[in-house]
Amino acid sequence: MAMVKTPQPTSRRGFLTRLWIGLGVVAFLQILATTVLSLLSGRKRSQTGQDQIIEVGKLSDFPPGSVTFIALGHLYLCHLDTGGFLAISRKCTHLGCAIPWVTERKQFECPCHASVFDITGKVLKSPAPRALDLYPISFKRNQVTINIGKSIKRSTFKTEQLAHPQELS
Amino acid sequence: MTSHFLLHFRPKRIPKDALRFTLTWGLGGMAALMIVQQLFSGVLLGFFYEPHPVQAYESVQHIQSKVFLGQLLRNLHHWTGHALVIVVFLHMLRVFVSAAFYPPRHWNWLVGLGLGLLVLIANFSGYLLPWDQLSYWAVTIAISMLGYIPVLGMGLQNIIRGGEELGAATLQLFYTIHTTLIPLALALLMVYHFWFVRRAGGVLLSPAKKENTVETTKREYVSFAPELLVREIAFAAMVSCALLLFSMLVNAPLGNIANPALTPAAVKAPWYFLGAQELLLHVPAVFAVFVVPLVLVLFLGLIPFVGQKNGEPSPLVKFLFYGTLALLVGLTITGIWFRGPGMQLVWPW
Repeated sequence: MAMVKTPQPTSRRGFLTRLWIGLGVVAFLQILATTVLSLLSGRKRSQTGQDQIIEVGKLSDFPPGSVTFIALGHLYLCHLDTGGFLAISRKCTHLGCAIPWVTERKQFECPCHASVFDITGKVLKSPAPRALDLYPISFKRNQVTINIGKSIKRSTFKTEQLAHPQELS
Repeated sequence: MTSHFLLHFRPKRIPKDALRFTLTWGLGGMAALMIVQQLFSGVLLGFFYEPHPVQAYESVQHIQSKVFLGQLLRNLHHWTGHALVIVVFLHMLRVFVSAAFYPPRHWNWLVGLGLGLLVLIANFSGYLLPWDQLSYWAVTIAISMLGYIPVLGMGLQNIIRGGEELGAATLQLFYTIHTTLIPLALALLMVYHFWFVRRAGGVLLSPAKKENTVETTKREYVSFAPELLVREIAFAAMVSCALLLFSMLVNAPLGNIANPALTPAAVKAPWYFLGAQELLLHVPAVFAVFVVPLVLVLFLGLIPFVGQKNGEPSPLVKFLFYGTLALLVGLTITGIWFRGPGMQLVWPW
Protein backbone atom coordinates (compact mmCIF):
# COMPACT_ATOMS: atom_id res chain seq x y z
CA MET A 1 0.00 0.00 0.00
CA ALA A 2 1.54 3.15 -1.19
CA MET A 3 1.49 6.16 1.04
CA VAL A 4 1.15 9.54 -0.52
CA LYS A 5 4.19 11.51 0.58
CA THR A 6 3.25 14.95 1.73
CA PRO A 7 6.01 17.46 1.08
CA GLN A 8 7.56 18.47 4.39
CA PRO A 9 7.56 22.22 4.89
CA THR A 10 11.10 23.50 5.28
CA SER A 11 11.89 24.47 8.81
CA ARG A 12 13.29 27.91 9.53
CA ARG A 13 16.59 26.35 10.57
CA GLY A 14 16.80 24.23 7.43
CA PHE A 15 16.06 27.24 5.27
CA LEU A 16 18.75 29.33 6.96
CA THR A 17 21.30 26.52 6.67
CA ARG A 18 20.68 26.24 2.97
CA LEU A 19 20.81 29.99 2.60
CA TRP A 20 24.21 30.13 4.30
CA ILE A 21 25.57 27.30 2.16
CA GLY A 22 24.24 28.96 -0.98
CA LEU A 23 25.77 32.31 -0.06
CA GLY A 24 29.02 30.57 0.79
CA VAL A 25 29.13 28.97 -2.65
CA VAL A 26 28.42 32.33 -4.30
CA ALA A 27 31.16 34.00 -2.25
CA PHE A 28 33.61 31.22 -3.15
CA LEU A 29 32.85 31.54 -6.85
CA GLN A 30 33.26 35.31 -6.67
CA ILE A 31 36.66 35.00 -5.02
CA LEU A 32 37.70 32.33 -7.53
CA ALA A 33 36.58 34.43 -10.50
CA THR A 34 38.26 37.62 -9.30
CA THR A 35 41.45 35.69 -8.54
CA VAL A 36 41.58 34.13 -12.00
CA LEU A 37 40.71 37.42 -13.71
CA SER A 38 43.33 39.40 -11.83
CA LEU A 39 45.93 36.72 -12.55
CA LEU A 40 45.17 36.72 -16.25
CA SER A 41 44.90 40.49 -16.67
CA GLY A 42 47.88 41.72 -14.73
CA ARG A 43 50.75 39.55 -15.88
CA LYS A 44 53.55 41.18 -17.76
CA ARG A 45 54.01 39.35 -20.99
CA SER A 46 55.88 39.83 -24.20
CA GLN A 47 53.73 41.20 -26.99
CA THR A 48 52.45 38.35 -29.07
CA GLY A 49 49.93 38.37 -31.86
CA GLN A 50 50.33 42.12 -32.31
CA ASP A 51 52.37 43.57 -35.13
CA GLN A 52 55.87 44.43 -34.09
CA ILE A 53 57.87 45.58 -37.09
CA ILE A 54 61.64 45.87 -36.93
CA GLU A 55 64.02 47.20 -39.58
CA VAL A 56 66.99 44.94 -39.99
CA GLY A 57 69.07 46.62 -42.72
CA LYS A 58 69.52 47.31 -46.42
CA LEU A 59 68.91 44.64 -49.05
CA SER A 60 72.57 44.75 -50.06
CA ASP A 61 73.60 43.79 -46.48
CA PHE A 62 72.28 40.29 -47.11
CA PRO A 63 73.94 38.76 -50.21
CA PRO A 64 72.53 35.55 -51.70
CA GLY A 65 73.48 32.47 -49.69
CA SER A 66 73.88 34.44 -46.46
CA VAL A 67 72.36 33.60 -43.09
CA THR A 68 72.34 36.56 -40.69
CA PHE A 69 71.37 36.35 -37.02
CA ILE A 70 69.03 39.18 -36.02
CA ALA A 71 69.46 39.41 -32.23
CA LEU A 72 66.50 41.72 -31.64
CA GLY A 73 64.01 39.29 -33.13
CA HIS A 74 65.74 36.06 -32.07
CA LEU A 75 65.68 34.98 -35.71
CA TYR A 76 67.80 34.35 -38.77
CA LEU A 77 67.38 36.22 -42.03
CA CYS A 78 68.23 33.78 -44.81
CA HIS A 79 68.81 34.84 -48.41
CA LEU A 80 68.71 31.72 -50.56
CA ASP A 81 71.11 31.21 -53.48
CA THR A 82 68.06 30.79 -55.68
CA GLY A 83 66.77 34.19 -54.55
CA GLY A 84 64.07 34.89 -52.03
CA PHE A 85 64.24 35.69 -48.31
CA LEU A 86 63.10 33.79 -45.24
CA ALA A 87 62.99 35.07 -41.65
CA ILE A 88 63.44 31.90 -39.62
CA SER A 89 62.86 31.59 -35.87
CA ARG A 90 65.81 30.52 -33.77
CA LYS A 91 63.62 28.32 -31.59
CA CYS A 92 63.74 24.57 -32.24
CA THR A 93 60.26 23.17 -32.85
CA HIS A 94 61.10 20.11 -30.75
CA LEU A 95 61.72 21.47 -27.24
CA GLY A 96 62.50 25.15 -27.72
CA CYS A 97 66.30 25.24 -27.63
CA ALA A 98 68.14 28.02 -29.47
CA ILE A 99 69.57 26.69 -32.73
CA PRO A 100 72.92 27.87 -34.09
CA TRP A 101 73.67 28.06 -37.84
CA VAL A 102 76.67 25.87 -38.62
CA THR A 103 78.52 27.54 -41.48
CA GLU A 104 80.75 24.57 -42.38
CA ARG A 105 77.85 22.22 -43.03
CA LYS A 106 75.39 24.97 -44.06
CA GLN A 107 72.62 23.81 -41.77
CA PHE A 108 70.92 24.54 -38.43
CA GLU A 109 71.92 22.00 -35.77
CA CYS A 110 70.10 21.84 -32.45
CA PRO A 111 72.45 21.30 -29.49
CA CYS A 112 69.74 19.60 -27.38
CA HIS A 113 68.50 16.62 -29.37
CA ALA A 114 70.48 16.87 -32.59
CA SER A 115 67.63 17.92 -34.87
CA VAL A 116 68.96 19.30 -38.16
CA PHE A 117 67.31 21.85 -40.47
CA ASP A 118 68.42 23.16 -43.85
CA ILE A 119 68.69 26.83 -44.82
CA THR A 120 64.94 26.98 -45.48
CA GLY A 121 64.19 25.64 -41.98
CA LYS A 122 63.01 22.28 -43.33
CA VAL A 123 63.64 19.29 -41.04
CA LEU A 124 66.55 17.16 -42.27
CA LYS A 125 66.79 15.05 -39.15
CA SER A 126 64.16 14.44 -36.44
CA PRO A 127 63.11 14.51 -33.55
CA ALA A 128 61.88 18.00 -34.54
CA PRO A 129 58.27 17.50 -35.66
CA ARG A 130 58.02 20.40 -38.14
CA ALA A 131 59.97 23.11 -39.94
CA LEU A 132 61.20 26.17 -38.02
CA ASP A 133 58.68 29.00 -37.62
CA LEU A 134 58.72 31.95 -39.99
CA TYR A 135 58.14 35.69 -39.61
CA PRO A 136 56.62 37.86 -42.35
CA ILE A 137 59.14 39.95 -44.31
CA SER A 138 58.44 43.10 -46.25
CA PHE A 139 60.65 45.41 -48.27
CA LYS A 140 60.40 49.18 -48.16
CA ARG A 141 62.74 51.24 -50.36
CA ASN A 142 65.59 48.71 -50.18
CA GLN A 143 65.04 48.28 -46.43
CA VAL A 144 64.23 44.83 -45.10
CA THR A 145 61.63 44.83 -42.31
CA ILE A 146 60.37 41.86 -40.32
CA ASN A 147 57.21 41.54 -38.26
CA ILE A 148 58.48 39.74 -35.17
CA GLY A 149 55.08 39.88 -33.46
CA LYS A 150 53.60 37.29 -35.76
CA SER A 151 55.21 33.87 -36.02
CA ILE A 152 53.95 31.55 -38.73
CA LYS A 153 53.85 27.82 -38.01
CA ARG A 154 54.40 25.48 -40.94
CA SER A 155 54.94 21.78 -41.42
CA THR A 156 57.59 22.05 -44.12
CA PHE A 157 59.16 24.45 -46.62
CA LYS A 158 57.19 25.53 -49.69
CA THR A 159 58.42 27.96 -52.34
CA GLU A 160 55.47 30.31 -51.79
CA GLN A 161 56.87 31.05 -48.31
CA LEU A 162 59.78 32.93 -49.89
CA ALA A 163 59.68 36.72 -49.88
CA HIS A 164 60.98 38.40 -53.04
CA PRO A 165 62.01 42.07 -53.08
CA GLN A 166 61.25 42.49 -56.79
CA GLU A 167 57.58 41.67 -56.27
CA LEU A 168 57.05 45.10 -54.81
CA SER A 169 59.23 47.10 -57.19
CA MET B 1 51.57 22.33 25.66
CA THR B 2 54.26 20.32 23.87
CA SER B 3 52.78 17.09 25.15
CA HIS B 4 49.32 18.08 23.96
CA PHE B 5 50.71 18.81 20.51
CA LEU B 6 52.60 15.52 20.37
CA LEU B 7 49.62 13.51 21.52
CA HIS B 8 47.64 14.75 18.57
CA PHE B 9 50.13 12.98 16.34
CA ARG B 10 50.98 10.06 18.51
CA PRO B 11 49.11 7.95 21.06
CA LYS B 12 50.50 7.68 24.57
CA ARG B 13 51.21 4.02 24.17
CA ILE B 14 52.29 2.30 20.98
CA PRO B 15 52.70 -1.35 19.99
CA LYS B 16 56.22 -2.55 20.63
CA ASP B 17 56.41 -3.86 17.07
CA ALA B 18 56.05 -0.33 15.75
CA LEU B 19 59.54 0.41 17.05
CA ARG B 20 61.10 -1.85 14.45
CA PHE B 21 63.02 0.31 12.02
CA THR B 22 62.62 -2.06 9.06
CA LEU B 23 58.86 -1.52 9.15
CA THR B 24 59.08 1.94 7.56
CA TRP B 25 62.81 2.48 7.05
CA GLY B 26 62.00 5.87 8.54
CA LEU B 27 61.22 7.17 5.06
CA GLY B 28 58.03 9.07 5.89
CA GLY B 29 59.63 10.70 8.90
CA MET B 30 62.71 11.48 6.86
CA ALA B 31 60.60 13.22 4.21
CA ALA B 32 58.78 15.26 6.87
CA LEU B 33 62.06 16.27 8.49
CA MET B 34 63.50 17.31 5.16
CA ILE B 35 60.45 19.38 4.26
CA VAL B 36 60.66 21.26 7.56
CA GLN B 37 64.38 21.78 6.98
CA GLN B 38 63.64 23.11 3.48
CA LEU B 39 61.18 25.60 4.96
CA PHE B 40 63.85 26.97 7.29
CA SER B 41 66.70 27.10 4.78
CA GLY B 42 64.31 28.47 2.15
CA VAL B 43 63.20 31.35 4.38
CA LEU B 44 66.85 32.21 5.07
CA LEU B 45 67.69 32.19 1.36
CA GLY B 46 64.58 34.28 0.71
CA PHE B 47 66.08 37.16 2.70
CA PHE B 48 68.78 37.57 0.04
CA TYR B 49 67.22 36.32 -3.19
CA GLU B 50 65.80 38.76 -5.78
CA PRO B 51 63.30 37.29 -8.24
CA HIS B 52 64.25 39.25 -11.36
CA PRO B 53 66.25 37.83 -14.31
CA VAL B 54 69.58 39.56 -13.90
CA GLN B 55 69.45 40.30 -10.17
CA ALA B 56 68.44 36.70 -9.47
CA TYR B 57 71.76 35.35 -10.69
CA GLU B 58 73.72 38.11 -8.97
CA SER B 59 71.87 37.59 -5.69
CA VAL B 60 72.68 33.87 -5.78
CA GLN B 61 76.34 34.79 -6.32
CA HIS B 62 76.02 37.24 -3.43
CA ILE B 63 74.59 34.49 -1.20
CA GLN B 64 77.47 32.20 -2.09
CA SER B 65 80.28 34.68 -1.67
CA LYS B 66 79.19 37.37 0.81
CA VAL B 67 76.57 35.87 3.12
CA PHE B 68 77.96 34.10 6.18
CA LEU B 69 77.68 30.34 5.49
CA GLY B 70 75.62 31.28 2.44
CA GLN B 71 77.21 28.70 0.18
CA LEU B 72 76.49 25.98 2.72
CA LEU B 73 72.93 27.20 3.11
CA ARG B 74 72.32 27.08 -0.63
CA ASN B 75 74.00 23.67 -0.91
CA LEU B 76 71.82 22.32 1.85
CA HIS B 77 68.63 23.64 0.25
CA HIS B 78 69.69 22.38 -3.18
CA TRP B 79 70.75 18.86 -2.21
CA THR B 80 67.94 18.33 0.28
CA GLY B 81 65.49 19.29 -2.46
CA HIS B 82 66.85 16.63 -4.78
CA ALA B 83 67.16 14.05 -2.02
CA LEU B 84 63.56 14.75 -1.05
CA VAL B 85 62.32 13.63 -4.46
CA ILE B 86 64.15 10.32 -4.02
CA VAL B 87 63.01 9.83 -0.41
CA VAL B 88 59.37 10.52 -1.30
CA PHE B 89 59.63 8.06 -4.19
CA LEU B 90 61.09 5.36 -1.91
CA HIS B 91 58.47 6.12 0.75
CA MET B 92 55.74 5.51 -1.80
CA LEU B 93 57.42 2.34 -2.97
CA ARG B 94 57.63 1.06 0.61
CA VAL B 95 53.93 1.75 1.16
CA PHE B 96 53.09 -0.16 -2.01
CA VAL B 97 55.28 -3.13 -1.12
CA SER B 98 53.70 -3.48 2.31
CA ALA B 99 50.22 -2.98 0.73
CA ALA B 100 49.53 -0.22 3.24
CA PHE B 101 47.34 1.74 0.82
CA TYR B 102 44.19 -0.34 1.27
CA PRO B 103 41.30 0.83 3.47
CA PRO B 104 41.34 2.33 6.02
CA ARG B 105 44.45 4.04 4.58
CA HIS B 106 43.16 4.55 1.03
CA TRP B 107 42.45 8.28 1.41
CA ASN B 108 45.86 8.79 2.92
CA TRP B 109 47.43 7.15 -0.13
CA LEU B 110 45.71 9.82 -2.24
CA VAL B 111 46.89 12.60 0.09
CA GLY B 112 50.37 11.10 -0.22
CA LEU B 113 50.17 11.16 -4.02
CA GLY B 114 49.22 14.85 -3.78
CA LEU B 115 52.19 15.48 -1.50
CA GLY B 116 54.45 13.65 -3.92
CA LEU B 117 53.29 15.84 -6.81
CA LEU B 118 53.77 18.94 -4.67
CA VAL B 119 57.36 17.92 -3.90
CA LEU B 120 57.99 17.52 -7.63
CA ILE B 121 56.49 20.94 -8.40
CA ALA B 122 58.46 22.45 -5.53
CA ASN B 123 61.69 21.10 -6.94
CA PHE B 124 60.86 22.08 -10.51
CA SER B 125 59.81 25.63 -9.59
CA GLY B 126 62.97 26.04 -7.53
CA TYR B 127 65.07 24.81 -10.43
CA LEU B 128 64.63 28.04 -12.37
CA LEU B 129 65.44 30.46 -9.56
CA PRO B 130 69.27 30.62 -9.84
CA TRP B 131 68.77 31.85 -13.44
CA ASP B 132 71.93 30.28 -14.79
CA GLN B 133 72.32 28.53 -18.14
CA LEU B 134 71.53 25.12 -16.66
CA SER B 135 68.30 26.20 -14.99
CA TYR B 136 67.16 28.39 -17.87
CA TRP B 137 67.49 25.73 -20.55
CA ALA B 138 66.41 22.78 -18.41
CA VAL B 139 63.18 24.63 -17.62
CA THR B 140 62.81 25.73 -21.27
CA ILE B 141 62.90 22.08 -22.34
CA ALA B 142 60.54 20.93 -19.59
CA ILE B 143 57.98 23.65 -20.42
CA SER B 144 58.32 22.93 -24.15
CA MET B 145 57.33 19.33 -23.41
CA LEU B 146 53.95 20.67 -22.24
CA GLY B 147 53.39 22.00 -25.76
CA TYR B 148 52.73 18.44 -26.93
CA ILE B 149 49.61 18.10 -24.76
CA PRO B 150 46.67 18.15 -27.19
CA VAL B 151 44.38 21.23 -27.24
CA LEU B 152 45.50 22.74 -23.92
CA GLY B 153 49.26 22.42 -24.35
CA MET B 154 50.09 25.63 -26.18
CA GLY B 155 47.86 27.77 -23.98
CA LEU B 156 49.25 26.20 -20.82
CA GLN B 157 52.77 26.79 -22.05
CA ASN B 158 52.09 30.47 -22.69
CA ILE B 159 50.43 30.94 -19.29
CA ILE B 160 53.39 29.36 -17.50
CA ARG B 161 55.99 31.24 -19.53
CA GLY B 162 54.01 34.47 -19.71
CA GLY B 163 55.03 34.88 -23.34
CA GLU B 164 56.96 33.20 -26.11
CA GLU B 165 60.12 32.73 -24.13
CA LEU B 166 61.22 32.38 -20.54
CA GLY B 167 61.58 35.80 -18.92
CA ALA B 168 60.75 37.99 -15.97
CA ALA B 169 57.12 36.82 -15.94
CA THR B 170 58.17 33.17 -15.76
CA LEU B 171 60.60 33.79 -12.95
CA GLN B 172 58.04 35.75 -10.95
CA LEU B 173 55.47 32.98 -11.34
CA PHE B 174 57.92 30.25 -10.36
CA TYR B 175 59.13 32.28 -7.40
CA THR B 176 55.63 32.83 -6.04
CA ILE B 177 54.67 29.19 -6.53
CA HIS B 178 57.91 28.01 -4.97
CA THR B 179 57.89 30.28 -1.94
CA THR B 180 54.20 30.71 -1.15
CA LEU B 181 51.81 28.30 -2.76
CA ILE B 182 53.80 25.09 -2.41
CA PRO B 183 54.90 25.53 1.25
CA LEU B 184 51.33 26.41 2.23
CA ALA B 185 49.84 23.43 0.39
CA LEU B 186 52.55 21.11 1.72
CA ALA B 187 51.94 22.20 5.31
CA LEU B 188 48.17 21.70 5.04
CA LEU B 189 48.39 18.32 3.34
CA MET B 190 51.09 17.10 5.74
CA VAL B 191 48.80 17.77 8.68
CA TYR B 192 46.15 15.61 7.00
CA HIS B 193 48.72 12.97 6.13
CA PHE B 194 49.85 12.63 9.76
CA TRP B 195 46.35 12.77 11.11
CA PHE B 196 45.23 9.96 8.79
CA VAL B 197 48.13 7.80 9.94
CA ARG B 198 47.18 8.44 13.56
CA ARG B 199 43.50 7.65 12.88
CA ALA B 200 44.39 4.38 11.16
CA GLY B 201 46.23 3.37 14.35
CA GLY B 202 49.81 4.30 13.55
CA VAL B 203 52.11 2.61 11.08
CA LEU B 204 50.89 -0.62 9.50
CA LEU B 205 52.19 -3.59 11.45
CA SER B 206 52.80 -6.82 9.61
CA PRO B 207 49.86 -9.19 10.15
CA ALA B 208 50.21 -11.95 12.74
CA LYS B 209 52.13 -14.88 11.36
CA LYS B 210 50.06 -18.00 10.82
CA GLU B 211 52.19 -20.48 12.75
CA ASN B 212 51.99 -18.63 16.05
CA THR B 213 48.64 -16.90 15.93
CA VAL B 214 47.95 -17.52 19.59
CA GLU B 215 51.00 -15.64 20.77
CA THR B 216 50.72 -12.63 18.51
CA THR B 217 47.05 -11.89 18.99
CA LYS B 218 48.03 -9.92 22.04
CA ARG B 219 50.46 -7.16 21.18
CA GLU B 220 52.91 -5.78 23.66
CA TYR B 221 52.63 -2.04 24.24
CA VAL B 222 55.28 0.48 25.30
CA SER B 223 55.17 4.23 25.99
CA PHE B 224 55.57 6.57 23.08
CA ALA B 225 57.89 8.73 25.15
CA PRO B 226 60.67 7.89 25.52
CA GLU B 227 60.75 4.60 23.57
CA LEU B 228 59.77 5.85 20.10
CA LEU B 229 60.56 9.54 20.64
CA VAL B 230 64.21 8.92 21.45
CA ARG B 231 64.65 6.67 18.43
CA GLU B 232 63.06 9.26 16.18
CA ILE B 233 65.21 12.08 17.48
CA ALA B 234 68.33 9.98 17.00
CA PHE B 235 67.30 9.09 13.46
CA ALA B 236 66.47 12.73 12.63
CA ALA B 237 69.90 13.77 13.92
CA MET B 238 71.59 11.19 11.69
CA VAL B 239 69.68 12.29 8.60
CA SER B 240 70.45 15.96 9.28
CA CYS B 241 74.12 15.14 9.77
CA ALA B 242 74.28 13.21 6.50
CA LEU B 243 72.66 16.06 4.55
CA LEU B 244 74.88 18.65 6.19
CA LEU B 245 78.02 16.62 5.53
CA PHE B 246 77.14 16.15 1.88
CA SER B 247 76.42 19.89 1.55
CA MET B 248 79.79 20.71 3.10
CA LEU B 249 81.59 18.54 0.57
CA VAL B 250 79.69 19.18 -2.67
CA ASN B 251 78.72 22.62 -3.94
CA ALA B 252 75.39 23.19 -5.66
CA PRO B 253 76.06 23.89 -9.34
CA LEU B 254 75.92 27.46 -10.64
CA GLY B 255 76.82 27.93 -14.29
CA ASN B 256 77.06 31.10 -16.34
CA ILE B 257 74.20 33.58 -16.25
CA ALA B 258 71.23 32.57 -18.39
CA ASN B 259 71.66 33.52 -22.05
CA PRO B 260 68.50 33.13 -24.15
CA ALA B 261 70.59 33.28 -27.33
CA LEU B 262 72.87 30.37 -26.55
CA THR B 263 71.81 26.85 -25.70
CA PRO B 264 74.71 24.99 -24.08
CA ALA B 265 75.57 21.58 -25.52
CA ALA B 266 73.99 18.54 -23.88
CA VAL B 267 71.36 20.42 -21.95
CA LYS B 268 68.70 18.27 -20.34
CA ALA B 269 65.45 18.64 -18.43
CA PRO B 270 65.63 18.22 -14.63
CA TRP B 271 66.64 14.62 -13.90
CA TYR B 272 63.23 13.50 -12.62
CA PHE B 273 61.72 14.45 -15.99
CA LEU B 274 64.42 12.68 -17.98
CA GLY B 275 62.30 9.51 -18.09
CA ALA B 276 59.66 11.48 -20.00
CA GLN B 277 62.31 13.16 -22.15
CA GLU B 278 63.84 9.78 -22.96
CA LEU B 279 60.41 8.37 -23.78
CA LEU B 280 59.90 11.34 -26.10
CA LEU B 281 62.69 9.98 -28.30
CA HIS B 282 61.00 6.60 -28.74
CA VAL B 283 57.23 7.14 -28.89
CA PRO B 284 54.94 9.83 -30.34
CA ALA B 285 55.19 13.00 -28.27
CA VAL B 286 51.58 13.01 -27.10
CA PHE B 287 52.17 9.64 -25.38
CA ALA B 288 55.39 10.63 -23.69
CA VAL B 289 54.24 13.91 -22.15
CA PHE B 290 50.49 13.39 -21.79
CA VAL B 291 49.05 9.89 -22.06
CA VAL B 292 51.72 8.05 -20.08
CA PRO B 293 51.94 10.52 -17.12
CA LEU B 294 48.13 10.77 -16.99
CA VAL B 295 47.63 6.99 -17.02
CA LEU B 296 50.37 6.65 -14.41
CA VAL B 297 48.72 9.11 -12.01
CA LEU B 298 45.27 7.58 -12.61
CA PHE B 299 46.66 4.09 -12.03
CA LEU B 300 48.32 5.12 -8.77
CA GLY B 301 45.15 6.92 -7.69
CA LEU B 302 42.97 3.90 -8.41
CA ILE B 303 44.99 1.03 -6.95
CA PRO B 304 43.52 1.31 -3.44
CA PHE B 305 40.08 0.70 -4.92
CA VAL B 306 40.56 -2.06 -7.48
CA GLY B 307 42.37 -5.35 -7.92
CA GLN B 308 42.65 -6.36 -4.27
CA LYS B 309 43.13 -10.02 -3.34
CA ASN B 310 43.18 -10.91 0.38
CA GLY B 311 44.64 -7.57 1.35
CA GLU B 312 47.34 -7.88 -1.31
CA PRO B 313 47.44 -6.33 -4.79
CA SER B 314 46.39 -8.85 -7.45
CA PRO B 315 49.17 -10.29 -9.63
CA LEU B 316 48.06 -8.06 -12.50
CA VAL B 317 48.30 -4.87 -10.41
CA LYS B 318 51.69 -5.99 -9.08
CA PHE B 319 52.91 -6.78 -12.58
CA LEU B 320 51.77 -3.39 -13.91
CA PHE B 321 53.26 -1.52 -10.96
CA TYR B 322 56.65 -3.19 -11.00
CA GLY B 323 56.75 -3.23 -14.81
CA THR B 324 56.10 0.51 -15.01
CA LEU B 325 58.55 1.11 -12.19
CA ALA B 326 61.32 -0.80 -13.96
CA LEU B 327 60.59 1.06 -17.20
CA LEU B 328 60.55 4.46 -15.50
CA VAL B 329 63.77 3.84 -13.58
CA GLY B 330 65.42 2.40 -16.70
CA LEU B 331 64.43 5.36 -18.86
CA THR B 332 65.46 7.88 -16.21
CA ILE B 333 68.87 6.25 -15.73
CA THR B 334 69.39 6.14 -19.50
CA GLY B 335 68.42 9.81 -19.72
CA ILE B 336 70.71 10.88 -16.89
CA TRP B 337 73.87 8.95 -17.60
CA PHE B 338 73.73 7.48 -21.09
CA ARG B 339 72.87 10.54 -23.15
CA GLY B 340 75.65 12.85 -24.22
CA PRO B 341 75.71 15.96 -26.43
CA GLY B 342 72.96 15.94 -29.03
CA MET B 343 71.23 13.11 -27.13
CA GLN B 344 73.65 10.56 -28.59
CA LEU B 345 73.95 7.36 -26.61
CA VAL B 346 77.22 7.44 -24.72
CA TRP B 347 78.90 5.52 -21.92
CA PRO B 348 78.94 7.47 -18.66
CA TRP B 349 82.65 6.79 -18.13
